[in-house]
Amino acid sequence: MAPDKDLKTILGKLRYSDDAKVVQQITEQMQQVQARMAGIKHKLVVMSGKGGVGKSMTTVNLALALARQHSRVGLLDVDLNGPCVPRMLGLHGQSLTMTPAGAVPPIGPLGIKVASMDFFLGAASPVRWKGPMDVSPVWLGLMEMNVIREFLADVVWGELDYLLADLPPGAAADKPPVIAGFIPDLAGAIVVTTPSEVASDVVQKSVTYARDMGIKVLGIVENMSEYRCPSCGEQNELFEGNTEAMCEVLDLPLLGRIPFDRKLARTFDKGEPLLDETYPTIQRYQEIAGRIRTLLDYKKVLAEKL
Amino acid sequence: MKFVCLNCETYMNFEKVEKPGEGSLGVFFGCPSCGAKFSMVTNPGETQMVSSLGVKLGGRTVAPEPFEMTRGTLKDEASAGSGQMAAYLNEKIQAGQPVAASPAAPPKSGDKTGSSGCPFSAMVAEMGLTSSGQPANGAPAKSEFTWTADAKEKLDRLPVFVKPMVQSSVEAYARKQGYTTITLQVMDDSKNDSPNGIAWTREAEQRLDNIPDFIRPMARKEIERLAKERGVATITAQVMDDAKDKFMKFM
Repeated sequence: MAPDKDLKTILGKLRYSDDAKVVQQITEQMQQVQARMAGIKHKLVVMSGKGGVGKSMTTVNLALALARQHSRVGLLDVDLNGPCVPRMLGLHGQSLTMTPAGAVPPIGPLGIKVASMDFFLGAASPVRWKGPMDVSPVWLGLMEMNVIREFLADVVWGELDYLLADLPPGAAADKPPVIAGFIPDLAGAIVVTTPSEVASDVVQKSVTYARDMGIKVLGIVENMSEYRCPSCGEQNELFEGNTEAMCEVLDLPLLGRIPFDRKLARTFDKGEPLLDETYPTIQRYQEIAGRIRTLLDYKKVLAEKL
Repeated sequence: MKFVCLNCETYMNFEKVEKPGEGSLGVFFGCPSCGAKFSMVTNPGETQMVSSLGVKLGGRTVAPEPFEMTRGTLKDEASAGSGQMAAYLNEKIQAGQPVAASPAAPPKSGDKTGSSGCPFSAMVAEMGLTSSGQPANGAPAKSEFTWTADAKEKLDRLPVFVKPMVQSSVEAYARKQGYTTITLQVMDDSKNDSPNGIAWTREAEQRLDNIPDFIRPMARKEIERLAKERGVATITAQVMDDAKDKFMKFM
């Protein structure tokens, strides 16, 4: 038995070495993420504090809108436990192709590259992990973060103009802002809300938290602003909220309003997305995509218009 | 994690990893001075924590496959192992043995955590907050200002979650300007008040209006940042020209 010794004094004399090479490997993982992301000009996340506001529908349609504007677009479905982007784009049942260079993503409509947890799952299978800690929330958090890290590091995105990440719901010290913090040189976050006060309240928290994390919030998209009747085309309000007031308080631009459009939603539900750019709701997405481009290039706009 | 040989006062070297059983890792260390050997054996939970980092203890001998961790950890229908950690803990508890690391020490006598044992309830109580995060006395903050009826009506029309922030922002502006009464005009003026304390001339404001509305707030911030960098307190046409020149570099 060694005599009692002062550990602080002993450690003061020693030089730490990472001989288990854990730090080295984690550094390499982050370098791999950096290398994969280097070919992407603008990385954007689409988030909301609230679930069910239409984040995925917004992300998918913004990706399509940007692709229609002749951009090379990638779409990362980060909602690990409820992935729906592949189904919406008619890619359900496809998978990533594993190659020595990395995982090659399937190509969706208008040339969009898509990566999603859905590609690892069976038809009705939920995400379940092996091992003794499969129900431990602490372990699940760590695990999911590393799965997301693999999506960023291992997918062969190639050269892209835009990568849009559809984040899961959550407002504060849980995943979304942390995930966004993972993405190097993130251009910003697009926040989706509905005009409902309940949604706005939660969305506001997520904006505050994202800003605390140093994430630039580009603006707000109001989804389900009104209901467009599939028969007569008339539009009526679905909620009574005030997204403009929220934007004013948060000092954020309202990027656009999207009506709840049953006809459009149905095409995505069936995996046969409507791509007609003359369709009124799709035109709204086109306008929002245009505003996002302007926001990302705002310094050029200032130079021209000031 | 490192181990120290207290006899030799040196770090032990990592030597190798073995799998003594399912869900367990034996990590071997050796003292470079006296040659003493030491093995740390992880429980199933600790083993999985290490594996979820996507690292190999001691370093990799082959490059990782794409999605190695995701594919290796996704459960297939036939795999077992669920509840292994619970069984391990239960076994320890039933056998009266302490588990490797006690998650929380029992509250000391007179401890503020009280009988619930929740460490956070005491923190919340210390902060004077209720569980909803509201001040414990529940009373809204009293305003030192007189709000005219129309200004109050405009404030009351705002959504509940927005109201306190707008009120606070308008009152901060009024305080700064030395106003005691808040009118509709004060509310409107407060919107254009810069938190940086920077004023705008009318001409500069008009030029800012040329910018599309959805990027105007961003433009305002950028121009104010430029003014601050140059030690200017008022945005004039000259500052706008300087800003334009700066942004031209991005063309």
